[in-house]
Amino acid sequence: MSIKVGIPRGLWFYDYYPLWKTFYECLDAEVIISKPTNRKILDQGVKNTVDEACLPVKIFNGHVIDLKDRADYIFVPKMMSAYEREYICPKFCGLPEMVLHSIEGLPPLIDVEINFNKSRKNMADTIYKFGFYIIKDKRKINRAYCEALKNYRDYKNAIKKGILPIDGDLTEINGGKIYDRKIKKIMVIGHTYNIYDSYSSMNLLNKLKKNGVHIIVPEMIGFEHINRHAATLDKKMFWSFGRKLLGTSIYLAETRDVDGVIYISSFGCGIDSIIQYLFEKKSRKEGEIPFLLLTIDEHTGEAGINTRIEAFLDMIEWRKRYENNISTYG
Amino acid sequence: MKVKNCYLGIDVGSISTNVVLMDEDKEIMAKVYTGTNGKPIEVIQEALKEIKSKVNKKLNIKGVGTTGSGRNLAAMIVGADVVKNEITAHGIAALNFVGDVRTIIEIGGQDSKIILLKDGIIRDFAMNTVCAAGTGSFLDRQAARLGIDIKRFGELALKSTNPVRIAGRCAVFAETDMIHKQQLGHNQEDIIRGLSDAMVRNFLNNLAKGKDIEAPVVFQGGVAANVGIKRSFEEALGLEVFVPPHYDVMGSIGCCLLAEEYAAKGNKTIFQGFNIINSGYDVRGIECSDCPNMCEIVEIFRDGKIMARWGDKCGKWSNLIKKDIENLA
Repeated sequence: MSIKVGIPRGLWFYDYYPLWKTFYECLDAEVIISKPTNRKILDQGVKNTVDEACLPVKIFNGHVIDLKDRADYIFVPKMMSAYEREYICPKFCGLPEMVLHSIEGLPPLIDVEINFNKSRKNMADTIYKFGFYIIKDKRKINRAYCEALKNYRDYKNAIKKGILPIDGDLTEINGGKIYDRKIKKIMVIGHTYNIYDSYSSMNLLNKLKKNGVHIIVPEMIGFEHINRHAATLDKKMFWSFGRKLLGTSIYLAETRDVDGVIYISSFGCGIDSIIQYLFEKKSRKEGEIPFLLLTIDEHTGEAGINTRIEAFLDMIEWRKRYENNISTYG
Repeated sequence: MKVKNCYLGIDVGSISTNVVLMDEDKEIMAKVYTGTNGKPIEVIQEALKEIKSKVNKKLNIKGVGTTGSGRNLAAMIVGADVVKNEITAHGIAALNFVGDVRTIIEIGGQDSKIILLKDGIIRDFAMNTVCAAGTGSFLDRQAARLGIDIKRFGELALKSTNPVRIAGRCAVFAETDMIHKQQLGHNQEDIIRGLSDAMVRNFLNNLAKGKDIEAPVVFQGGVAANVGIKRSFEEALGLEVFVPPHYDVMGSIGCCLLAEEYAAKGNKTIFQGFNIINSGYDVRGIECSDCPNMCEIVEIFRDGKIMARWGDKCGKWSNLIKKDIENLA
């Protein structure tokens, strides 16, 4: 019988899951992914997490609980740093410990540390450590990783083309249509676990889609642009996520290539508290691009979110018509 | 008797519900401002009854618009042509009052907004987030604590000569601060003025953060009745603040204007008529247990017939409604 590896559908999931899923499947493990976020997962997560943690961490714990009795191992790596001289949110760094102390009766965790802060020299060792949970054969692990990397690149390319992992399922967000200047082009930004988890984002992407919005995410403008613009910051932003977003904001302020930006943030997020402000300053003040901040939390009051989205779309519509000298409000 | 063409605007908010009847010359024929009291359906019926009794004319409703957090419910009950969010509705109403308005401050029972306009279009807006410290509920609560009628709050604030500083960030801290100031012996007017300043400071630091407030400024919503708050805004901004004559029903006025525009495009109204005030409404709630989302489904019946069903995430229940209505018909 093959070993069952459970992958929680939370936090880094939307950035990396094809990599780890393929990796373990190539090592002949059975990969089980927790269910898309639902009320039960949220409730369980909230119940079993310290109060001060942010909503995404609570949801992550809910996903771990969903897998608890179905897997031999649960995949919760200790993500310290993915790029040189950059860090990831402190909650990612301490995630395995947080999970272990929050939930009882867990199977063993795959909690290998990923730390490329100094260099990527330890990459091979890190990969072996992940593989050793299943098999001791280094050659097989190498081969599995190559395969995984291929899948991961395909996945990233799909996102670049606007095929987005809503709840982990790749969906052509703009229906494969080419952008038409007459429709509203809106960039949705924020942590991937907020954007793509349709339960916690209150279905933001689909709501925009239903309203005929052409949606783009930072990945779709290309990392070469983002990195080039991020390099112009006075000081290096040491959070990987923050660097990506600030690069995007400078790019937007310069090109003014979108009709609006929606920033989705979870209440109490430390990184967002800084990045959101800097982003808003760049894109709203310098780029004069309409900006909407949506803060999500445990509450289920969708009315407030809907009102803001509707008003934002009205405003853009109005502005677009004015700029094209067509009739007034409506 | 001549038949009068007119438009109906309904704003169902968390605290108050208001209804406006506007004629073709944009004149307000009747308005009702009342508490929602957690019973939106009954309140809408009551308000319509009151509107009808206020106008002694034969009415031809050419269009209906709804807004506020209860806009979808209201639209279903009366049969509305336009269902709009509060920001757009308030913006349009203010533009109709001051054509070149640049800033709208709107403070209601449980939410507050700032809307910035330029060249007659909305450029930016913000709504209060998690906390109701800068809203009407906060003032109500503090007035109750001081044992004064909220209607006298404004005029008392204006009598102050030496306002005290009170923390406006949070209702709980404000209370602590207020008690402390009372026990130091400050007089009531100064404390009330301090509270008004605190609320304005909270609004400007929270909603208006990083935004350029330019004249003309229009102040609307239920709290605009409070002359003390108006004065505090004027002093904090160094600008004159206009309060429109129908400040308390601006959302509904915006709906009337939107309904008028909708009708002008040649659209026929789906208004169900004033007879709905005699109908009996029933609301039933069920918790769906088909998946772990456990959605709370709401069903609304009029005179025993199902009218609407919503609240499900997957659409299974709300999609069934058409079939159910056909079956009943």
